[in-house]
Amino acid sequence: MASSYQPGTPSNRVRIVVATSVMLTFISYWRAAAIVLNDLGSSAFYAAGIAEQAVGKSAPWFIVAVMLFSFTVRAVYVESCSMFVRGGVYRVVKEALGGTLAKMSVSALMFDYILTGPISGVSAGQYIAGLINDVFVTLDTHGWVPRAVHAMFHGTPHVNVNWTSVVFAAAVTIYFWWQNTKGIQESSEKALRVMQITTVMVVLLLGWSAITLLKQGYQPVPLPTGHNLQFGHEALGFLNHTDLAHDLARKFGLLGILIAFGHSVLAMSGEESLAQVNRELAHPKLKNLKRAAVIIAIYSFVFTGLTALLFVMIIPDSVRVPVYKDNLIAGLAMYLWGPQILRLAFRAFVVVVGFLILSGAVNTAIIGSNGVLNRVSEDGVLPDWFRQPHPRFGTTYRIVNLVVFLQLFTILASRGNVYWLGEAYAFGVIWSFTFNSLAMLVLRYKYKGERGWKVPPNIQIAGREIPVGLASVFLVLLSTAIVNLFTKSLATEAGVGFAAAFFLIFTISERANRHKHALAEQHLQEHFQLLQRDTVDRGGLGIRPGNVLVTVRDYNTLNHLKWALERIDTKEQDIVVMSARVSQFGAAAYDLSTEQIFSEYEQQLFSRAVNIAESFGKHVSLLVVPARDVWSAIVQTANNLESSAVISGLSSKMTAQEQAFELGRAWEAAPEPKRQFVVQIVHPDQQVDTFRIGPHTPSIKSEDVHLIHRLWLNITREPGLDKLHHHDVVTEALTRFARDYAGRDRQDILRELRKTTGKTVATRAIGGDGNKPPARQDDDVARKKDDGPPSPPVVGP
Amino acid sequence: MGILVTIGIRLLEGMFAIGAIGSFIVLVLTGIEDFETLIGSGDSTHTEESAI
Repeated sequence: MASSYQPGTPSNRVRIVVATSVMLTFISYWRAAAIVLNDLGSSAFYAAGIAEQAVGKSAPWFIVAVMLFSFTVRAVYVESCSMFVRGGVYRVVKEALGGTLAKMSVSALMFDYILTGPISGVSAGQYIAGLINDVFVTLDTHGWVPRAVHAMFHGTPHVNVNWTSVVFAAAVTIYFWWQNTKGIQESSEKALRVMQITTVMVVLLLGWSAITLLKQGYQPVPLPTGHNLQFGHEALGFLNHTDLAHDLARKFGLLGILIAFGHSVLAMSGEESLAQVNRELAHPKLKNLKRAAVIIAIYSFVFTGLTALLFVMIIPDSVRVPVYKDNLIAGLAMYLWGPQILRLAFRAFVVVVGFLILSGAVNTAIIGSNGVLNRVSEDGVLPDWFRQPHPRFGTTYRIVNLVVFLQLFTILASRGNVYWLGEAYAFGVIWSFTFNSLAMLVLRYKYKGERGWKVPPNIQIAGREIPVGLASVFLVLLSTAIVNLFTKSLATEAGVGFAAAFFLIFTISERANRHKHALAEQHLQEHFQLLQRDTVDRGGLGIRPGNVLVTVRDYNTLNHLKWALERIDTKEQDIVVMSARVSQFGAAAYDLSTEQIFSEYEQQLFSRAVNIAESFGKHVSLLVVPARDVWSAIVQTANNLESSAVISGLSSKMTAQEQAFELGRAWEAAPEPKRQFVVQIVHPDQQVDTFRIGPHTPSIKSEDVHLIHRLWLNITREPGLDKLHHHDVVTEALTRFARDYAGRDRQDILRELRKTTGKTVATRAIGGDGNKPPARQDDDVARKKDDGPPSPPVVGP
Repeated sequence: MGILVTIGIRLLEGMFAIGAIGSFIVLVLTGIEDFETLIGSGDSTHTEESAI
């Protein structure tokens, strides 16, 4: 048996198997597209309004151009995802551009992520406040507002739109702060549902708009020529103080187009989320990534691009910007053809959809920021202090706190001004895209590893490949980013200030951490031997079937490991100590490197585990698996290692029953073939709850056994039934039960079962779906004081 | 100073124009590939599985 720890030989390093393939529940390209569209699609709610305020009535054409250009930016992200690299954005960009530019790139990305939350939250607030005010106006028009209320507001009741948006955005941000502190698992199912509802809205919106155009006609959208550009005062930024501000279009025709394009790039914000879902895509990964990318590009083009045109075509000039600039989809709903009540109802639906999609973007922003800062912290660019897990929830709450603090500050500083937020957000978006495309361009020459796909066209000149396509996309992004620096003064000041602050923090932290990081590296080299494995199997760990998997997370709560070591004879049964390195959905664009998976925290955790094993003089095998969902990681690992039991400590946020339920649910979702196993939850007071995961023979009460026997005796006295077995009686009884349950007696059966369940230990269903009748915790194994792991091992179905 | 600004602006315009033309070609080529991906006729001619 290959054991990780060999007492008495201090020169031997502790061997840790690090699984590099993430234990993921892989998702289809439809789900992946839905997740990205939750971010990308949310831009449709505010991008066109911001662009029109900046460049005038021809803004929709620039939005359409940006959406077409987003097809090419998407291609850059597909290429970046198709490279087999590990380690996060910072490490990848550092490899291409060096440390300084990598820190600048991450700072821009952080600005992008942090601004995503406030703009989404405030925009959702604008839609809600706008609806409230319009409902008041409608009620007042019909005389349905009481006089007292009328007098109180000195006219039609109304709410302050901007401050209501601030309050709403702050409330949503605080809500998701708490969810992320607790460590909620983001679900692709939720994203898919939101996109389904959004699709219903988009189809209705486009269909109804088409009818409106036919019935009412339309106002033309001025072509995007220099003469049609009407830059707002704020849209020229620092250029306002130069000669360029006068007759810009005539002097520099293309420059005007470039400035207008720069004010519209916000429409493709969220494209970067494509990289975040790449890791989770099902096989064949590249093909599915491309499919997801096509769906995303087409959907966002139709939604953001076409609706931008419809805003100008349908909403009258007199109200479009003055009234609806921050909630244009709501404005469009109000100017569709049809009765007012129907339009108001549709507007309410728009607000609900906006609330769902924009709130989701707030959460995505927190998760994305948390993921990026975790990666840079692992690389020593941010102090380790930030990554200390929450004492109760185990999340990197300090990073979440920092991100949310910055977001709340931004929300308050903006005072609910979507235009200001949008301009600032565009800074992060364009520079983040620019750095990414530059890194990809440089990596074309520096990166020699596997690459699944390249942005076309690539031409060969003198045996050297020239990445024409990639360079073209980079040129557009770079020229736009540079122009934006001059035309978005507020964004430049805020963005440069923010990015500089982050850059400074990163640089100082990196210097301060250099010595510590080197020591940690040395400690790792001296004390641990990391054995990298793509997948988890028994061969990699050198263990026998029927082993016991002990899950560990917090090095202060390892009582359950002691409990297992006290009871298990490791000569007979191997013990595997496993830690799941959980990264949230969409928290990382690239797979983690081995050093990142086995970070300083894992070093401390496994050092303690090894010390405990040493004190018992027993061998344990050590395993780290990266995972998105800890439950499916445990189930998959137990299955791959043919474990007979899983031993865990009691969670600080769940009961033992809930823990077992989550494991059971993960077991149900796991693909075949799968094995049953026993899970034992050890409480701090050494009490143990035992559950069987997967289908298993239930514990039968002695009176039930007697009943079966009595029935068998009576039946075998009947002619021709003398050879009947006990199990035939049970089979017949169950068959009749299933028939009755499927038929008219279902309610009677359920009523009886509810009565019975009330008398005994009521637990949630384990190893079944939540809709099935609740399963009972095994009476004979529940809450045993001194119940060791089962032996011999439970064999799978 | 004025000349430098003009040169800078022309440079930016040139970068943007060349980039936009190149991006249009990217759009067309990836569009063809996207169409093939959507109708499920296999990977594109631009796909390279081997190391470079």
